[in-house]
Amino acid sequence: MLNVVNTFENGTARVDLEGRLDTVTAPELEKQLKDAMDDAAELVLGMEKLDYISSAGLRVLLSAHKIMAGKGGALKLTGVSDIIMDIFDTTGFSEILNIE
Amino acid sequence: MSENGTGAVTFALTGRVDSLNAPELESQLMERLAGRAGAPVVLDASELQYISSAGLRVLLRVKKTNPDMTVTGVNSDVYEVLDMTGFTELMTVEKAYRTVSVEGCEEIGRGANGTIYRIDRDNVVKVYNNPDALEDIRHEREVARLALVLGIPTAISYDVVKVGDSYGSVFELLNASSFSKILAEQPDRMDWCVKEYVEMLRKIHGTLVPKGKLPDVRITALGWAEFMRDWLPEKAGEKLVALIRAVPHDDHMIHGDYHTKNLELQNDEVLLIDMDTLAVGHPIFELASIYNSFVGFSEYDHETIKRFQGFDRETGLTFWKKALAAYLGTTNEMKLREVEDKARVVGYARMIRRSIRRGGLDTEDGRAEIDLWKGELLELLDRVDDLTFDPDELELEALVENLPWVQEFIDSHLESTDCPPKAQMQISLAAEEIFVNIASYAYAPEKGRARVRVEVAGDPVTVTITFLDRGVPYDPLQREDPDVTLSADQRDIGGLGILLTKKTMDDVAYEYKDGQNILTLKKKI
Repeated sequence: MLNVVNTFENGTARVDLEGRLDTVTAPELEKQLKDAMDDAAELVLGMEKLDYISSAGLRVLLSAHKIMAGKGGALKLTGVSDIIMDIFDTTGFSEILNIE
Repeated sequence: MSENGTGAVTFALTGRVDSLNAPELESQLMERLAGRAGAPVVLDASELQYISSAGLRVLLRVKKTNPDMTVTGVNSDVYEVLDMTGFTELMTVEKAYRTVSVEGCEEIGRGANGTIYRIDRDNVVKVYNNPDALEDIRHEREVARLALVLGIPTAISYDVVKVGDSYGSVFELLNASSFSKILAEQPDRMDWCVKEYVEMLRKIHGTLVPKGKLPDVRITALGWAEFMRDWLPEKAGEKLVALIRAVPHDDHMIHGDYHTKNLELQNDEVLLIDMDTLAVGHPIFELASIYNSFVGFSEYDHETIKRFQGFDRETGLTFWKKALAAYLGTTNEMKLREVEDKARVVGYARMIRRSIRRGGLDTEDGRAEIDLWKGELLELLDRVDDLTFDPDELELEALVENLPWVQEFIDSHLESTDCPPKAQMQISLAAEEIFVNIASYAYAPEKGRARVRVEVAGDPVTVTITFLDRGVPYDPLQREDPDVTLSADQRDIGGLGILLTKKTMDDVAYEYKDGQNILTLKKKI
């Protein structure tokens, strides 16, 4: 289960994630992020309530990162827990992504 | 005196036999038996009111020349004398049966071999379908005694009576109500009924039966499967027989007809009745019969259950689902479906056979019902490879959308451990990668099944998760690890899952054996 809350303000799209980002929930998030990124100069992903992320979730983050970078914008992650940070470290994502 | 076809000599004993008339009885008997030493003797005692020791001595002397002696129609006074003096052990003594009418009596239970009626406030009678039921009654009394001694609360009959042309056995059942009646009249007590029902079921299945005391249900089920061979395509018939044959022998008790009409609440005590189907065997055979009672029998005609149990199909379905979940101790829908599917294989075979033998093919409805069950059975035989089940193993269709059930299954096994959240997430991640791999590639573009086994053991505590599938041989560990130092632009999206799995698990191993991909994850927690 993944709950997604979208808000948009001053060119910044904010998407708060709650629950599990896995193979089952990733495709739906990918779709929602594509829509959210349409008019956004900046995409902020709130990760405070995200319990779990698997490689399928990492792929969604990487592709969002590429899309934002491609149009001169930025992807920012906030509230990343230690457990998820470990996964970013193991996979080298902490070097690529903009994590606050 | 007369002789019947088997050469037995029948002789009527009448009135009172005492020291005054015993010599005369003896001379009459000896005269009739002259030259017929060794012939079976049947003494009809239905008109006999009294017999003294002088009369008993006559019987003993006759028995010396004609040892095969039966006394029939014995009234309870005479029976007491014969019992006290040990004559009931020396010869066959058949009691005279009191007559009981069940007209207008409430039906409180119905089993494979008979129907149970309440005859007064404190007593019930089980009337047997088979008119020649004395052997059945003796059998049921014997197994009920055995069950009671082994700790299963049950009622034991204290009298045999004549009911119309049939026989019945009488039980004391005070102020009792069947669970079916409770479910029909007090639907809010469903959860309580499920709890008590499952508690009793576990007690039955936890009871070890001394060897040879009860029939083996697997042998009976093999008979159903052999019968079904004539009615199924050859391959399906063979598979059905093989599946049942492969169920391991089990010496634990099963009831054999465990539905809610056979469970009684007497004051605050829960009692099992209708014990004649008692057997030993694997619980899957019990679950099959439970499935039939609550779901299977009413799959074609939804009103069937109402006639039989007194409650509607919806109640039956809910009861089955709740009882199965409570019995298996899980709410994991995939685990429940796995066991239900196995139970249904045996259940359908049994129902189809029963219906065919009872002339089901003679009516349109009967044929439609058999077709429905047969369709379900064939579909199940296509995918079920094993009838046993294990709380530590989950067998399910390898579909990505089933991933949450795999993770729930693993999480529920980790719940009782002190697994730190980080390790739990790593295990969950690794399991996802492996399962999604199987779901995406093992059988594509077809579908297939996977098994997930979870073991938590050792010191330090180690979690071992084994994935098995029968898809194309594939070792995901052979894949080259992605370079994690590359920039976002250069990063290839793929291979991360296996990399994470290798890095976070203490051991990851793959082998291909007996046509199966076997991937094992180990993690110390």
